[in-house]
Amino acid sequence: MTTVPGQLVWEIVKKNNSFLVKEFGNGTQSVQFSKEPNNLYNLNSYKHSGLANKKTVTIQPAGKEQAVLLATTKTKKQSKPASLLNKSILKKEFNRMAKAVVNQVASNYYRPDLKKAALARLSAVNRSLKVSKSGVKKKNRQVSRVYGRK
Amino acid sequence: MLPCFSLQLNHAEMAAAARPLVTVQSLESDMATDATGIPLPSVMKASIRPDIVNFVHSNISKNSRQPYAVSRKAGHQTSAESWGTGRAVSRIPRVAGGGTHRAGQGAFGNMCRGGRMFAPTRIWRRWHRKINVNQKRYAVVSAIAASAVPSLVMARGHRIENVPELPLVVNDSIEGVEKTKNAISVLKQVGAFSDVEKAKDSVSIRPGKGKMRNRRYIGRKGPLIVYGNEGVKLVKAFRNIPGVEIANVDRLNLLKLAPGGHVGRFIIWTKSAFEKLDSIYGSFEKTSEKKKGYVLPRAKMENADLARIINSDEVQSVVRPIKKEVKRATMKKNPLKNLNTMLRLNPYAKTAKRMAVLAEEQRKKAKKEKLDSKRKPVSKEESAKIKAASKSWYKTMISDSDYAEFDVFTKWLGVSQ
Repeated sequence: MTTVPGQLVWEIVKKNNSFLVKEFGNGTQSVQFSKEPNNLYNLNSYKHSGLANKKTVTIQPAGKEQAVLLATTKTKKQSKPASLLNKSILKKEFNRMAKAVVNQVASNYYRPDLKKAALARLSAVNRSLKVSKSGVKKKNRQVSRVYGRK
Repeated sequence: MLPCFSLQLNHAEMAAAARPLVTVQSLESDMATDATGIPLPSVMKASIRPDIVNFVHSNISKNSRQPYAVSRKAGHQTSAESWGTGRAVSRIPRVAGGGTHRAGQGAFGNMCRGGRMFAPTRIWRRWHRKINVNQKRYAVVSAIAASAVPSLVMARGHRIENVPELPLVVNDSIEGVEKTKNAISVLKQVGAFSDVEKAKDSVSIRPGKGKMRNRRYIGRKGPLIVYGNEGVKLVKAFRNIPGVEIANVDRLNLLKLAPGGHVGRFIIWTKSAFEKLDSIYGSFEKTSEKKKGYVLPRAKMENADLARIINSDEVQSVVRPIKKEVKRATMKKNPLKNLNTMLRLNPYAKTAKRMAVLAEEQRKKAKKEKLDSKRKPVSKEESAKIKAASKSWYKTMISDSDYAEFDVFTKWLGVSQ
């Protein structure tokens, strides 16, 4: 196990990695996203990076409907990718899930700077699960006539 | 010389203290061995220099090129001569003779159809590049070190979510695997199969002319299996799996360790290969046994963990406290308009102003009184007083003046003395 510090890894990885997505614009105007699973905002930045940090949080849909997977990385097992994550599946209603997320991320001082990001991602994932469950909104093709006064 | 921080151990201590053990993964058919593990070879602690790797990689990959060039005679197999001036045609050399289309056509120039190209490519172009041995070794060492960092391997795109440990060391029994079928099951046991699957799914036809030039298919790279002993059977078993490559520890190739110049290939070591690494590359103090006089490169910063350094006692105890309040630029206010800024500059201004105000009030009052008294109609007593005063004044004026020919005037004025 080599404890290569996050700063070093970030310097190597920030410009060039397989998860990097540069979109919407030319040169300095574009946003840089990052597709790795441990990134809460999917932004390519040191703070949010899932590659360069020892402690990361990830929130993802967990397959079954309305179930969200919350996972944090264990700091001691950095070189064992298979057993890196503390996974837990959240299935309750939203408020309970939010509380659980806050507990895991901020209240135990794990990564208090990611609290907002974690909650934001949780609500986004939750919403997407709701949408996937009920199907994408079908737009009524026919123009609806408004019957009213002429 | 940098001061030695207490959390930075010097070389000897670091080598001994920070050499974690790497467990050897055993395959199903093995007998359960005592799982102590092998200490991490020092190569994996070398500094990771993607810039050096990129440079060396780009130069090394030039070495297997085959020369290409245009024929030496191309475009010159004519006996063309310029017609000179005076013939209403441009002056490029034209093909002599007659009776065919070719006659009179331009020749020799790069702009002519059928002429030689500009700067015809030559075979004596410098195809191969020489790279210093030390640089080559630095690059290989860097690439090996990078392969031990899960973040970097993931960043390169390998699927290592299910790999039990990085660097991945497998028991030597893998060297005896003969059939590809078994090889695949071994990879599955070890958690490397998702990477192989990714490589297999990615095989596609190359875009571009390469496909007609014997480079038809391209695909991602999977794991690299490094073995330690010669003539081992695993080579034949694993070589047909798409994406998987094999290498002997004694002959590690940078082009395989860092494909595309990008560090962090997923490497599967056999136990004997892993143990050999120390003797091949040496350590930071001990010279290598196989490479004469070679010592692992030293890093510019021994401890690159900035966060820890900044938060360490040594640094924090000497650092001044954070300035929380930010001093912002104050807006300039005009003293002539803004009383407080005037007072800040000239405190006397207050009393001066006050005096001026009071004086103004006095003046106003005095004027008002004067005007009022003037505008008020004069009362009877006052007007009588005024008249009497003016009469008496006139009398005194007469008596004072002592005018002799007063008689003449008495007739005029009609005044009786």
